Amino acid sequence: MKNFSLGFLTTIAVFTIGALGYLRLGLAEVQADVNTPAWESQLQKFAVQASVRRSAGKVQNAMPTTDDNLIAGGKLYLNGCAGCHGKPGKSPSNLPEYLPPPKFSQAGTQYSEPELFWIVKHGIRRTGMSAYGPFYSDEKMWTLAAFVKRMNNLPPTVLENIQPKNP
Amino acid sequence: MKNFVVGAIAAIVVLAVGTLGYLGLGFASVGADAEPPAWEAGLMNSTVHASVRRSAPRMQNPLAPTDETLIAGGKLYLSDCVGCHGAPGKPASAFGATFYPPVPQFPSIGTQYPEAEVFWVAKHGIRRTGMSPQGPYYADTELWTLSAFITRIKNLSPGVLNGIQQRSK
Repeated sequence: MKNFSLGFLTTIAVFTIGALGYLRLGLAEVQADVNTPAWESQLQKFAVQASVRRSAGKVQNAMPTTDDNLIAGGKLYLNGCAGCHGKPGKSPSNLPEYLPPPKFSQAGTQYSEPELFWIVKHGIRRTGMSAYGPFYSDEKMWTLAAFVKRMNNLPPTVLENIQPKNP
Repeated sequence: MKNFVVGAIAAIVVLAVGTLGYLGLGFASVGADAEPPAWEAGLMNSTVHASVRRSAPRMQNPLAPTDETLIAGGKLYLSDCVGCHGAPGKPASAFGATFYPPVPQFPSIGTQYPEAEVFWVAKHGIRRTGMSPQGPYYADTELWTLSAFITRIKNLSPGVLNGIQQRSK
């Protein structure tokens, strides 16, 4: 039993010192222009999705999904999100592949509307996703969540009306 | 000895299951608008800096920090960095504060990174922050003017400060 404890504690110590040493010596790669190892991005995604699911709660979108609301959300999207997340109906801009923002125009999203709302409002730590709570009202962010959720499935009138008018 | 090995294996299992359970149950807080604990922020910060120090080129800025160099770098800064990092002589960027990690506000705090490291960060970006690589868009020479500017951003001569506001002809 004594040896069991010794083995247990030694292993914990080795892992802790090993991890701190690895980080302190600068061996963790931080450059953004090469691909992250798959296991690492999978693990992050796994943790982020679970955390968002826990945080977002069960509040449903109280705004009806009218064309007007989708258009309002779409205008916000084009103005504030399309630069990184891609424009609806277009192949995602000229962003290099390794940049991680989800390309909604290609892949849609697995997140529910309340989860999208939560992400827009609070941002995601350690990604380029910043918090928009300080800038937009909850209502506006709900229109945005509704829009993003339906982005690859929009009625043509909505698609037409979000485009900036040519003078 | 056999018990020692069993203990070691038990520790590995506990660590692995504990970590996966913690993450999988959504206990790791991910909102960008809440402060993580200080030890976590400190650990991330020292990890990034240690890695940048190891990766950045071992060299001095090949460009002399003449007014001309600094003005060229300042114009780049004003066109591409101010949105998040803040403009000299202006209040801190409200947008930059909504990221986590928060975007360093160079005009008020300067930077502890030497020029070669600033160059490297601008070129390659920092993974898991909002800092994207600028290497695909700018020549190395341009990025060196930028790093000369940023490392001196708290100590710019009036001539340079004026110069960066002028439109290029």
